[in-house]
Amino acid sequence: MSEEKKKKAMNRLKTMYPLRANIDQAYERSVEATKAGKPTAWSMVNWWEADPILKAMDIEIVYPENYGAVCAAIGSAQKYLDRSDAEGFPTHMCGYARNCIGYTAEMTELGHIPSDAPMGGMSNPILLLSSGALCDARIKWFQSLGRYLDAPVWTVELPHPGVEESQMPGVREKSIQFMVKELRELVAFLERLTGRKMDWAKLEEITDDLIEINRIWYEINEFRKVRPCPMHSRDFWSCMNASLYPAGDPKVSLKLYRDMYDEVKDRVANKIGAVENEKYRMVFGELPPWHALKIFDELAERGWNFVVESWAYHAPKPIDYAKISDPLERVATQTYQWLTGYFPDALKEKEYMGYFAYPYLEWARTYQCDGALFHPLLTCRTATNHLILAQDRLLNKLHVPSLIAEGDIVDLKLFDYADTMRKAVVLEEMMDHYKKVRQEEGFEW
Amino acid sequence: MTAKGKKGFARAKELYQDRSQRAKELKAEGKKVMGYFCLYPVLELFTAFDIVPYRILGDMGEPITKADSCLPTIVCPFIRSALDLGLKGKYDFFDGVVMCHSCEVGEKAAHIWRIYMDPSYYHFLDTPHTVHEPAQQQFKGQLEDFQKTLEALTGKKLSAGKLKDAVDICNQQRVLVRELYDLRKSDPPLISGTEIIEVMVALMSIPVNEGNALLKQIIDEARGRTDGPQKKPHRLLLWGTVIDNTALVEMIENAGANVVMDDTCVGSRAYFPMVEPTENPLDGLSRRYLVDIKCPRTFREAVYGDPKKHYIKDLEHRFGYLKDYAREWNADGVILQSVRYCDIHGYDTPGLSDYLNHIGLPNIYIEHDYSEGALAPLRTRVQGFLELIG
Repeated sequence: MSEEKKKKAMNRLKTMYPLRANIDQAYERSVEATKAGKPTAWSMVNWWEADPILKAMDIEIVYPENYGAVCAAIGSAQKYLDRSDAEGFPTHMCGYARNCIGYTAEMTELGHIPSDAPMGGMSNPILLLSSGALCDARIKWFQSLGRYLDAPVWTVELPHPGVEESQMPGVREKSIQFMVKELRELVAFLERLTGRKMDWAKLEEITDDLIEINRIWYEINEFRKVRPCPMHSRDFWSCMNASLYPAGDPKVSLKLYRDMYDEVKDRVANKIGAVENEKYRMVFGELPPWHALKIFDELAERGWNFVVESWAYHAPKPIDYAKISDPLERVATQTYQWLTGYFPDALKEKEYMGYFAYPYLEWARTYQCDGALFHPLLTCRTATNHLILAQDRLLNKLHVPSLIAEGDIVDLKLFDYADTMRKAVVLEEMMDHYKKVRQEEGFEW
Repeated sequence: MTAKGKKGFARAKELYQDRSQRAKELKAEGKKVMGYFCLYPVLELFTAFDIVPYRILGDMGEPITKADSCLPTIVCPFIRSALDLGLKGKYDFFDGVVMCHSCEVGEKAAHIWRIYMDPSYYHFLDTPHTVHEPAQQQFKGQLEDFQKTLEALTGKKLSAGKLKDAVDICNQQRVLVRELYDLRKSDPPLISGTEIIEVMVALMSIPVNEGNALLKQIIDEARGRTDGPQKKPHRLLLWGTVIDNTALVEMIENAGANVVMDDTCVGSRAYFPMVEPTENPLDGLSRRYLVDIKCPRTFREAVYGDPKKHYIKDLEHRFGYLKDYAREWNADGVILQSVRYCDIHGYDTPGLSDYLNHIGLPNIYIEHDYSEGALAPLRTRVQGFLELIG
């Protein structure tokens, strides 16, 4: 097959390129700023709960999880993983954490950033900001860095109510107020730590921009429900960091997302799909194999269009924030909404894993998916432990089959490209079969 | 002798070997039996409603088969085992279950439990991650909601007086467990580490008041026994993940040491913290369960909000109680043990090892996969450790 044809199989969004470039430039600027001595916090991804506060106080944010992905993608992670093992940390722990621990141990030993550190490395932080969202590593990892760093650790709380419990009277309000109290404590702590005062007007502006970014990003992804789907998961992954981290100046990101909205809307109006001859509409589970993204081109040639992907990287369902005057309450409400936004629907269907697993079910139905490709990341239990459940629910409730292709966040050898393609052919047969089953049972697709 | 006729150690062993025996009898008599996972579902609330609390544990001797259909193999094997037992119907005698945000996998397994087993009563307690005042208030709110669901289940309104009585009964058990543990301070100890596991598992399988009676029998029996553990060259403190089976401790004790103290959740971690009396019992309960239970699943720091970091001070704050345990129980070494894939203990291990080295206590870290068969290779490491510490 010619190169020309391969390019045609997947039709990338033009507006993706400047948005991606903006993300990359933001990283470069961040590295320069931290090296120039700007106060830097190492932070867990926190789903907009602490980011706006740190940004409003002009603290540069570095995300070691993201740095782990960078080290893995360019093949530099192994020596840091080995160092972590030698330091006595169990080998089964999160690959990103082990990468960071090894990196930090080496940096401390040298007294400076290792000269061969990818992307200029991560500068010494003044703060380690842990997050109670989703996994244990994200509250334990930074504390374990106490062996190497003098920076204090702060943990941001995020309640995780059960699906049914979340609907009990007062639970939502109490949870958000709890978060607000904790965030107020965080602000006071940062003021003590940096000697600066919080710029509340700036916080309000950043928060509103992030809410708007997420609203537009959500709407863009809603367009993907139409046939043919106008945007492939590749474009989602290329652009998600401007929302998720959020990388770059929010105002610039906002403008670029608006441009993307217009392009996707235009594609919908003109029935332009992200994949030529969309035959299979697919869900992708978890982060992709970053080093082997060309597999999506090969699958696109077979008519596979990835129309939706993991919940954790998506924006929250939009709600009205207009009546919330306290910026910290807006911050807390958005993050809580992200976590619990699917719970009411999940409860109606007696699905009790309202995040991670249930959204696959809702999306497979509303995006009318034929199948799912799940990519469990073996040293990330959080990314993995719901996938068998999701696989089971998709098949038994919606007759949507799936395949599991194992991989990892740092050990790239675990992903077997050829085997995944072999399994993909088998999955196509299953998808054809279950499409008939769905039709026989009166499903809409 | 009938099952009910056995007393003291024999009764504890019997319950350890057939955990559900008494709970099923009580259910047949009309009592409600509630399964609970981890340490955070508050025992006092079950007790106040006259519900039999029954801790959900795993079984190291039972191969995991059914749980693989809903949880991957790269997660905590103890949780997989507990879920497996549930899926195999071993916990079918429950009238409901109370789960909690113990750790991340525990939380996911809780939701999976509900989806696949659909218990007639179910409640999930979202234990906060920190211990600050707002977190305590949040947890207290959780307990209030939990109480409401139990009131709806039983049709009874709970009075503060009844809850205070339950606090007293549970505190009494904690005092008795301390008394039992004190019997391990002598050399040789009057009760072995293996026997302690049997007693703890038994306590977690029967109502609290029956557990108190059993403890009194065991304490009396231990004090008068002549067939207790033999003096051994080493006295060890055992720290780490859940141990609900005697195999690991038995292996260590057969290698030439007495396990004289533990810090695990089927041991002192579950029983040593007391509930302080408060006007609203839920205040004391939220503090005891959230703050005083020293499980690595909770984030704690030396000084809340201190912009300065002091590594040793931080370690002292988090692990200082282990120094007290080692001194009081005269331990000359510490075994840090964990089931594979336990992140919360895994992250703490190097720091704890630093702390123990700092205070001059020899230590070793061992990891196992929660199966009896996999313990053999660890024996060599334990023997090597014992030789190393002289």
